Amino acid sequence: MPWSKNNPVTVQVLGICSCLAVTAQLKPAVVMAISVTVVVALSNLIISLMRKTITPRIRIIVQLVVVSMLVVLVDQVLKAYVYDVSKQLSVFVGLIITNCIVMGRLEAFAMSNPPLPSLCDGIGNGLGYSIILIILGFVRELLGSGTLWGYPVMESLGVYNLGYENNGLMIMPPMALILVGIIIWIQRTRNKDLQEN
Amino acid sequence: MKTFSNRYIFIYSAVLVAVVAVILSVVSVSLKPLQDRNQRVETKQMLLRTIGVASNTANAEELYDQHITETQTPDGKPYFRFEGGMILPLRGTGLWGPIWGYLALDPDGNVLGAVFDHKGETPGLGGEISTDKFASRFVGKKMDTQPIRLKKNADKNDSYQVDAISGGTMTSNGVTAMLQVAFDDYASLFTGNTDPGCGQSSNTIQQ
Repeated sequence: MPWSKNNPVTVQVLGICSCLAVTAQLKPAVVMAISVTVVVALSNLIISLMRKTITPRIRIIVQLVVVSMLVVLVDQVLKAYVYDVSKQLSVFVGLIITNCIVMGRLEAFAMSNPPLPSLCDGIGNGLGYSIILIILGFVRELLGSGTLWGYPVMESLGVYNLGYENNGLMIMPPMALILVGIIIWIQRTRNKDLQEN
Repeated sequence: MKTFSNRYIFIYSAVLVAVVAVILSVVSVSLKPLQDRNQRVETKQMLLRTIGVASNTANAEELYDQHITETQTPDGKPYFRFEGGMILPLRGTGLWGPIWGYLALDPDGNVLGAVFDHKGETPGLGGEISTDKFASRFVGKKMDTQPIRLKKNADKNDSYQVDAISGGTMTSNGVTAMLQVAFDDYASLFTGNTDPGCGQSSNTIQQ
């Protein structure tokens, strides 16, 4: 299943770059997760519908055109409806085009499977990516800024009076990498069959 | 695997690209008004921030209309007026691309508030100009007889110096140049005389 045993981030180790960049807060992480899921699912669907007409020689180009179109669409929609988040995500929406998860699923699955399974495969992988992004965004925003979705959780709990301080390191990208490492560690401890001999 | 002729490949790619182009143009044109509104609101929020008026995306346009009026200098340079003075637009270039901002001044040339933004400066270095922390360094400085300059280890008591960004020298130089241009462009608005070198650090911060 793409959201656990075959998770694109923690097992296939794809799409790490955007994971580190957009997860300092929960809101951009969720918007990014939705965007990637939409792009993976729809591009899988479209490529799967077109798969019998695509010539092997230009298949990568065709895939890229479709993915780029979807990403530009997503970018335009974000700019129109969630302008502040789209500014925070800046270049990373455009970089969905080069996200290995998208191209990887198109090559590995959509080119050789019917539309409905492809759509499900895309949604599944998108969710796998999303869950990691949301965990990272949740932990990093809570511990790094003491807020969740911009709401000052830590302040309303009153822990600052007990001498609690926000951990500034959580805002930095390296901490996201360490968190991903910890998630992979937990996952491998629980799922023995993921461990290499 | 089935083989395809070259003719098929050419026609296929041409049709594909044409279809994609049509879809993208339709979406772009239909979402344009919303995107333009977002940008306009953002600019208005920046202007309101310089004069210390808190706003959100919903009430920014209304508050803007209440507080700020657009006007021009005698030689046609646009700027803004509010009840406590004027707001000058700043335009310049940083290290990687355009930077811009707004500077609110009272009639004596004291800086009441500033706000900066950038297109593509390095986050954490030059990109720091868009933070409140950087903008607040300008409050209480003066822009009357000479422009404000960004300097490394700036003298805190000098009204014409602001501490530059460490690691963002090129961007800081861009901000200095931008302030110089604004000073030249809007010299006619300053009440102080424009004799250079007078009152360098003898001015105390008036706030």
